[in-house]
Amino acid sequence: MRHEIKKISRIVDELTTLFLKEDTNEVDFSIKRLEDYTVIKIRDHCTHFEDDYIDQLREVFNTQRQCEVEEYYWQLCGEVENDDELTLIGCMIDKAIVEKRDGDLYLELIRYHL
Amino acid sequence: MVVLNKIHERELHKEGKLLILSVFPVAFLLFGLFLCGSVETLVQGMKTILLSPTILITDFLEIGGLGASFVNAAIIGFINLYLLKRYKLRINGLLIAAYMTVLGFAFFGKNVFNILPIYAGGYLYCRYQKISMKNIILIIMFGTALAPIVSEIAFGHPQHLNFGLPLGIGLGVLIGFIIVPLSSHMLKFHDGYNLYNIGFTAGIIGTVFTSVLRSFKMEIQPENILYLDKSSHIASLLAFLFIYLIIVGLALNKDVLNHYGRIFKYKGRTITDFTSLVGYGMTFFNMGIMGLVSLCYVLFVGGVINGPVLAGVFTVVGFAAFGKQPKNCYPIVIGVIGTSLLLGYDLSSTSLIISVLFSTTLAPIAGSYGPLAGLVAGALHIAIVMNIGIVHGGINLYNNGFSGGLVAGFLVPIIDAFRKDD
Repeated sequence: MRHEIKKISRIVDELTTLFLKEDTNEVDFSIKRLEDYTVIKIRDHCTHFEDDYIDQLREVFNTQRQCEVEEYYWQLCGEVENDDELTLIGCMIDKAIVEKRDGDLYLELIRYHL
Repeated sequence: MVVLNKIHERELHKEGKLLILSVFPVAFLLFGLFLCGSVETLVQGMKTILLSPTILITDFLEIGGLGASFVNAAIIGFINLYLLKRYKLRINGLLIAAYMTVLGFAFFGKNVFNILPIYAGGYLYCRYQKISMKNIILIIMFGTALAPIVSEIAFGHPQHLNFGLPLGIGLGVLIGFIIVPLSSHMLKFHDGYNLYNIGFTAGIIGTVFTSVLRSFKMEIQPENILYLDKSSHIASLLAFLFIYLIIVGLALNKDVLNHYGRIFKYKGRTITDFTSLVGYGMTFFNMGIMGLVSLCYVLFVGGVINGPVLAGVFTVVGFAAFGKQPKNCYPIVIGVIGTSLLLGYDLSSTSLIISVLFSTTLAPIAGSYGPLAGLVAGALHIAIVMNIGIVHGGINLYNNGFSGGLVAGFLVPIIDAFRKDD
């Protein structure tokens, strides 16, 4: 895949906007590039998202990766302020762990290098 | 905020989805063969379609006959279905939109000869970038909007066929190569508020190519060849296909009728993939409804169902899987119709009918900013689309997508300037 670093940055950009705008004032990000895949870890402190919404996030982020959608639309990710591109993130990552622990929301997104 | 629905519908495998979509080219093939009557008529019609310059507007129904046009559309449908199967793509809303759009434009502008060089260009791009063709097949399907440039250069000047044929094919390959990076980049201009993004991209490419040709004193003359007979056979076929989609939707999800209102919650801005958000049953149902509404509109204003109108109807049906639903489309359509009436345009003319149908490319503006913004967008769209064709010389089949991109890129920042929220 081309523009790999930029695509990862866009995913982080989109999620930063989502969490700061819709949920909380403190978010931690950690990005680790490994040989075969990249892991993006996010901790959204003191989340106000309801369980139903967290379930929806889990489902959206665990849909099948769709490279054709990614190739066409990745530049929209993180671009718009008043709408989200979570479906697009779902198309750009391979799997996600989404869970709420001790009042914080933890996400671990995995994107394989194709 | 993401809005997913609990979807309770019958499991549908990839082959099942392809089978549902294959009914369209199969119906076109049978319909075309029935109308042709003889092999000679079919061969002559296909030859005329393949050797035509196909510049906007060249209606295949008029130049090649009804039978050959439907057979041409069927062949193009089968080629694209094969590609979807070959590359094992998940049949999502965007691919359904691309498939239906290509199918519709096979009635005016796209034929087997002029789309293949663009696919070849896409293939070369993949080889050059060392990526899978699977990644870009979608963009290339839409990218065949510029297919007329291949035919125009190849057959526009029969006395220069030896020179024109390889040049036309070469230009097609070049377009297939460059359209992938360009299409992705152009999204940023309108932020996904124009659903026909490739139309906007193709408009830019077309403008550049036409300007270069003009600087060499090569003028592309627009055409206006239209089929003008009212055929109840075509209307019946369309009605049958859209009712078929509604039945498929109901068969997959028995709660579609009760839950159809849920689809109105979606703004329609890219990416709004209804197959993921509301399931395949609701998606096919919405496609059928949008198709019937489009067909009824054409018949209500007394329009002719010809090549461009078929393209318009099938594009609406396709994008009903990827963002369009009645609630976000009606303000745009009212804006276009209202402005047209004020300006004294004839609503039954083909150019007006296709402007109304294709104007729904701006549905995300009405969905995101409300009906008033939709009305303004529709009014602007009709003003621009009636004047923009000259810029690209008619080589961009998605002329309304070009106009839609300009309207969205112009209007959205202005609307944003009036917002007071964060």
